[in-house]
Amino acid sequence: MKTIRFELNGEPVTAQVEPHHNVVELLQTMGLRGARESCGQGLCGCCTVLVDGLAVSGCLYFAAQLDGARVDTIERTEREGELDVVQQAFAECGAFQCGFCTPGFVLMTRQLLAHNPAPSEDEIRHYLSGNLCRCATYPEIIRAVQLAARIRKAGA
Amino acid sequence: MNDPRAKEPRNHGPQVGRSVPRKETHAKLTGTAAYVHHLVLPGMLHGKVARSRVAHARIRGIDTRAASALEGVYRVLTAADVGKLIPDPHYGPAFHDQPILAIDKVRFAGEPVALVLAYDPHVAQAAAALIEVDYEPLPAVYDEVEAMTSKAVVHEVLKPAGTFPDLKHLAGKRDTNIALDYHLERGDPAKAFAQAAHVFEHTFKTQQVLHLPLEPFVSLADPADERLTIHTASQSPSFVRIEIARLLGWPENRVRVQVPFLGGGFGAKLYIKLEALVAAAALIVRRPVKIALTMEEQFYTITKHAATLRIKSGVDSAGRIVARECEVWWNGGAYADIGPRVTQKSGFTAPGPYDIDNVSIASYALYTNLPPAGALRGFGIPQLVWAYESQADMIARAIGMDPLEFRRKNILREGRPQATGTPMRDAAIGQVLERLAQRMQWQAPFDRGSGTVRRGRGMAIGFKASISPTTSVAIVNVSADGSCHLLCSTVDMGQASDTAMAQIAAEVLGMPAERIAVVHPDTDVTPYDMATLGSRSTYHMGHAVKRAAEDARDKLLALAGELGVPPETTPIPDLFKKKYGMQAGNVIGMGSFVPAYAPTDHATGQSSNVTPYWMIGATGVEIEVDTETGVVTVTRMINVADAGKAINPAVVDTQLSGAAIMQLGFTLTEQMHFSEGQVTNPSLADYKIPGMLDLPAVIENEAVEANEQAGPFGAKGVGESGTFGVSPAIANAIEDAVGVRLTSLPITAEAVYRALRKAAGRPLDDE
Amino acid sequence: MRPFELLEPSSLREALGLLDTADETVRPAGGGTALMLMMKAGVLEPSRLISLRRIEPAWAEISQSADAVEIGALATLSAIEHSGIVRSELPVIARTLRTLANVRVRNVATLGGNLAHADPHMDLPPVLIALGASVIIASRGAERELPVAELISGYYETTLASGELIVRVRVPKQFARFSAYRKITTRSADDWPALGVAVALDREGPVLREARIAVSAAFDRPLRLAAAEAVLRGASIDDEAVLIHAGDAAADEARPIADERGSAAYKRELIRVHVRRALRDALDAQGGTP
Repeated sequence: MKTIRFELNGEPVTAQVEPHHNVVELLQTMGLRGARESCGQGLCGCCTVLVDGLAVSGCLYFAAQLDGARVDTIERTEREGELDVVQQAFAECGAFQCGFCTPGFVLMTRQLLAHNPAPSEDEIRHYLSGNLCRCATYPEIIRAVQLAARIRKAGA
Repeated sequence: MNDPRAKEPRNHGPQVGRSVPRKETHAKLTGTAAYVHHLVLPGMLHGKVARSRVAHARIRGIDTRAASALEGVYRVLTAADVGKLIPDPHYGPAFHDQPILAIDKVRFAGEPVALVLAYDPHVAQAAAALIEVDYEPLPAVYDEVEAMTSKAVVHEVLKPAGTFPDLKHLAGKRDTNIALDYHLERGDPAKAFAQAAHVFEHTFKTQQVLHLPLEPFVSLADPADERLTIHTASQSPSFVRIEIARLLGWPENRVRVQVPFLGGGFGAKLYIKLEALVAAAALIVRRPVKIALTMEEQFYTITKHAATLRIKSGVDSAGRIVARECEVWWNGGAYADIGPRVTQKSGFTAPGPYDIDNVSIASYALYTNLPPAGALRGFGIPQLVWAYESQADMIARAIGMDPLEFRRKNILREGRPQATGTPMRDAAIGQVLERLAQRMQWQAPFDRGSGTVRRGRGMAIGFKASISPTTSVAIVNVSADGSCHLLCSTVDMGQASDTAMAQIAAEVLGMPAERIAVVHPDTDVTPYDMATLGSRSTYHMGHAVKRAAEDARDKLLALAGELGVPPETTPIPDLFKKKYGMQAGNVIGMGSFVPAYAPTDHATGQSSNVTPYWMIGATGVEIEVDTETGVVTVTRMINVADAGKAINPAVVDTQLSGAAIMQLGFTLTEQMHFSEGQVTNPSLADYKIPGMLDLPAVIENEAVEANEQAGPFGAKGVGESGTFGVSPAIANAIEDAVGVRLTSLPITAEAVYRALRKAAGRPLDDE
Repeated sequence: MRPFELLEPSSLREALGLLDTADETVRPAGGGTALMLMMKAGVLEPSRLISLRRIEPAWAEISQSADAVEIGALATLSAIEHSGIVRSELPVIARTLRTLANVRVRNVATLGGNLAHADPHMDLPPVLIALGASVIIASRGAERELPVAELISGYYETTLASGELIVRVRVPKQFARFSAYRKITTRSADDWPALGVAVALDREGPVLREARIAVSAAFDRPLRLAAAEAVLRGASIDDEAVLIHAGDAAADEARPIADERGSAAYKRELIRVHVRRALRDALDAQGGTP
């Protein structure tokens, strides 16, 4: 058991972790629900979290390695109250069904738009190809990403 | 589930036909939505399953000593422990054939043999790997056609559940793998074949695939207070309560089943999956027990039937189908699950949406030593459509008729009897076909490609009857401030049933759907529903909800009459205030629904009313084939369906494309591979479902203008319709593009390439 | 997953010291993604992992000299994908990375870990082999350089000795050499490849001076296809037939392994077609930017 300190959604936290625990296990013990382990292989994106501003698969990331890091999860928006532009676009386009993969898609879309504010459809598909939606809400998600890009541009 | 943040529209107008945003929007977009996945109870143990590594064997012994000795292990359970609690621990919706843990024998590789309980799931996992089972191997059977006559018998004796009259005659039958044989006879097929101008006979195959919801199976049982509460990711909470109560010999009200959101279901999370195991474990150790499967374990839990389908058609000189004979063998795996229902309820639509006077159908549910098969988004229909719509194009091509024209000439028109004799009502088969043809611009010239890239297009249309007869019950509870609860046991697994049901209630009560909170299934609170399956909820639960809302509305009107205030204009809160002198009280409306049904005759399969409604789905595709590699790229996919009147048009659109894309995976990329009955690709790394890059560049969906007269506000189900036509449309387009015919799923690039080489007279070296 | 000890040394020297042990289950971890997959599957149960993430940042740097690009073994795949040096000098690597695994894996996985894992389906080994890259390998008190082609010796096997660590990858600048990589998946687009084909062509005016063709995924390790390379040596770049001959030669000499992604006979045909197409891609791209 090791004590780690990191910043979680803007707040300093400490946690006790075992070396074999991954980030999803840790976050769930801290009461967060947004990152979920599904495929367990980093392929589906349900466990997406941001570590030092970069998206990673929480199911393939040792919890102990969060020591000293800045960690952001989907819950960060909830704390701030309002849905952000990406979430608003997902809501507007009905870009989810069962919702299990949705936090991962939202986080990845934020990353995409931060790097590339006006992605082409091909760029959207490539960037999000590592996130799976078994309900296959893909057409709606593509439209939501495009809408979010337009709202961001209009607001900039 | 209600979203308190959702703003009510100022002038709400009609609620049915409005694309109301899903009620769970905020919860799902912020990651706060509740799934069983997240649930933790104090003192909870985690269970990990030790599974059979062989397909068929007698168990000589199970050595749990090393597992029990591992530090941190609380208890290891085998069938012997379960038997002390439940003397006959077999469950199943059609047959009581599946043991909670394997008893004396294993019937498929992956079958649960023992359960390890520990506070730390990592410890339980490590201990499960230490369990040693001594097996005496038995001959195994894997192929559904071989299973008909195989000496390897999966179950010594058949044990039908007794709830289905058409299975009763199978009780006690020995030494057979045939779990059900269903027959339908109409007209005089032998004579009609003899007189037909052309006779065609083909055999088609589909592969074993699986649902793979991203939230794997998970159940948690809590044995507090001399009763049992089961939190489970289930599509059928009412069934779980009844079946667990039966196993325990308890009254239904000692078992409580609660279901929050599901992270996908698609037919996987029906009937009993983990619930019996988790219930037994929790009662044995007197502690809450949670079992959460991994993605890999889903491959050992429930799958979609592989099938072999032989179809023989007689056609007259004008291109009319005059006779059809269908034989279907369903590979049900080691336990029947709902397979016998698939065999019958889908079997009778095997001749397709065509008007054929002379029909003979034989449909067989077979046991094999593979993971069990159940219902997956279409209840067997996509397998049948694969066969009859592939053959439709093969026939049209052979007799030199345009495939659209051939379908036009043969489809079932309104009022004509389907193969069971039941007349078609409100089945917009012609309309769906014509809309598809228009969208595809079927008559316009088509770019056929050149060089190594050849283009083609194809269409297919299928239909499905509803599973009948089934019951739904709903309660509408109006509070004194005029807000409303809707209590129903329909499970929202992503199909937006919470929203659609709220819309139906709201329409009746004249309020915006946003004002209605939907209570998630809790069998202590929400009334009975058969299950969330087979595109039945909108119609069946929709009716029950409508009736419950009407009951509440009528009681509110009566209350106004009793109080002597104008019934139409008095706000609801004023009624309560006037009645009780303060904001107090409730008005409760109740509604239940079971459709009329006439059972099918056992010998002939005939029925005057086999289904309350028909679902129609058609798909057209444009594709490109790389002739040097066989790679097929679907460039455009058009899905058209008859959903009756759409309660929520945006959701209907999403259901259509979601179903079609799922079926695209079953058509091109998905396949469970086996070696000696052991799945060799049980992970998302090796079993490939469609992702963003696999989508057709263009996807269009349309629900035709239609009305189901007997449906709630003209609506009927649509969750499966998008799956029907996809596979044969693609095979038809491939033949259109490059002249080769594929008859087995999946259509891999290699299969297409091999067919091209064979057609060119240069088969690959290894053939 | 079984418990283990996780150590995070702060220098390469310290890491090499910790890796110098008789315990054969001890493993170095870069990003740890591949290790974690193997540990979850129970095929690897280390007693101790030596995480390299806290060693000197220099081991993650990407730099260039007059004739080579040097990539620190701890550079993440995503850092390499977006590196200005890589994009201008080795655009084929940046293009290859775009379809390697996914964004999240690329953000974490390191180049050194990727190469040491020696999964035959990896995209980078054939590309690096075609480009003539080598790895610099350190151990306690020693350092050696080895062509990537000699690093991977079999199915998940390398020639790394116990206690050795890949610390840098040196890729020669390509100058007039044109290259391309084709990743061929036969099921969904995000599948592991059934075949990877990397080619690099040295051109002198209208004549091909040298060709390197490295093929992966269809074998237990990436392989050069010498017969196909020989067909191209000295050929004219305008001679379309020679590309076809090269594809045929590649198919003739290859002995692909069957798996769920395709039979051996089919993979041989894929090699025939995609070697030809990769050569065409390289000639068309002429080393263009991604």
